[in-house]
Amino acid sequence: MLYMEPGQARNTVSQLRKGTLEYCVLALLRDGRRYAFELVRTLSEADGLVVSEGTIYPLLSRLRRDRLVSTSWQESEAGPPRRYYQLTDAGKRALADFSDEWTRFRDAVDALVAPQAETTQGEQGDERAR
Amino acid sequence: MNVHADPLVDDYLRRLDAAASALPAHRREELAAQIRDHLQEALRQAPAGDKAAVRTVLERLGTPEEIAAAAADPPPPGQPAAAFSQVNGLAIASLVLAVLWFAGIGAVLALVFGYRARSQIKNSAGTQTGSGLATAGIILGWIGITLPVVILWALPPGKL
Repeated sequence: MLYMEPGQARNTVSQLRKGTLEYCVLALLRDGRRYAFELVRTLSEADGLVVSEGTIYPLLSRLRRDRLVSTSWQESEAGPPRRYYQLTDAGKRALADFSDEWTRFRDAVDALVAPQAETTQGEQGDERAR
Repeated sequence: MNVHADPLVDDYLRRLDAAASALPAHRREELAAQIRDHLQEALRQAPAGDKAAVRTVLERLGTPEEIAAAAADPPPPGQPAAAFSQVNGLAIASLVLAVLWFAGIGAVLALVFGYRARSQIKNSAGTQTGSGLATAGIILGWIGITLPVVILWALPPGKL
């Protein structure tokens, strides 16, 4: 009998993506507050991270309910006021914890899975820093 | 452009409202407001009635059903396996064949399916159930094979 189905790899990556996306949101807020549309577009422009932009909004609401981010309204130069998101202290802690765990996890998986782990890691690092 | 008057946007928001009907009212309203703001922001530069621009923005958002599904509460950790667990089909087949017997062939197949079902269930990490059924199929399968043999053995020759 089959224990590994053909779509399994994609499924695994999609689960990973789901689990890590909220920390990517927190990471984007590390350097200061951003408004929702800006967050969503930045995330959706990172290759392979978000399939449908709309699914990020429920995540933003959840982060706010869990008090990892707080929100504030601010007038914009053009158009209606915007809702800005910023990290709370709990959000900063969650992000720091995740960053440590993730780096260890990523290095371990890369060392086993990726033959040229160094080059791909470097590129991803640049991507996130921007 | 003002998205509030656009028929494509209206239709999309209606579908979103329907898809999110299981959410508590305040969460549903929050989601609708977020999506409305997104559309307003994304289409700010687009001229009124620019259908192609609206379609592109809606496509990037994903289907309303997808968004509503993402907004639904995830199952509590440890629960998802149980929520999706299903009875192993081979386990059922094993028990049914053992009962039907079919001149012994059913009993043999009941054993084959029963053992295979048990190993599948064991490897399914809780997503499959029915190991009791499979065991019943195996026991009845063995009875279905040994009993006729014993009876044939015990019968005096010539009576057959």
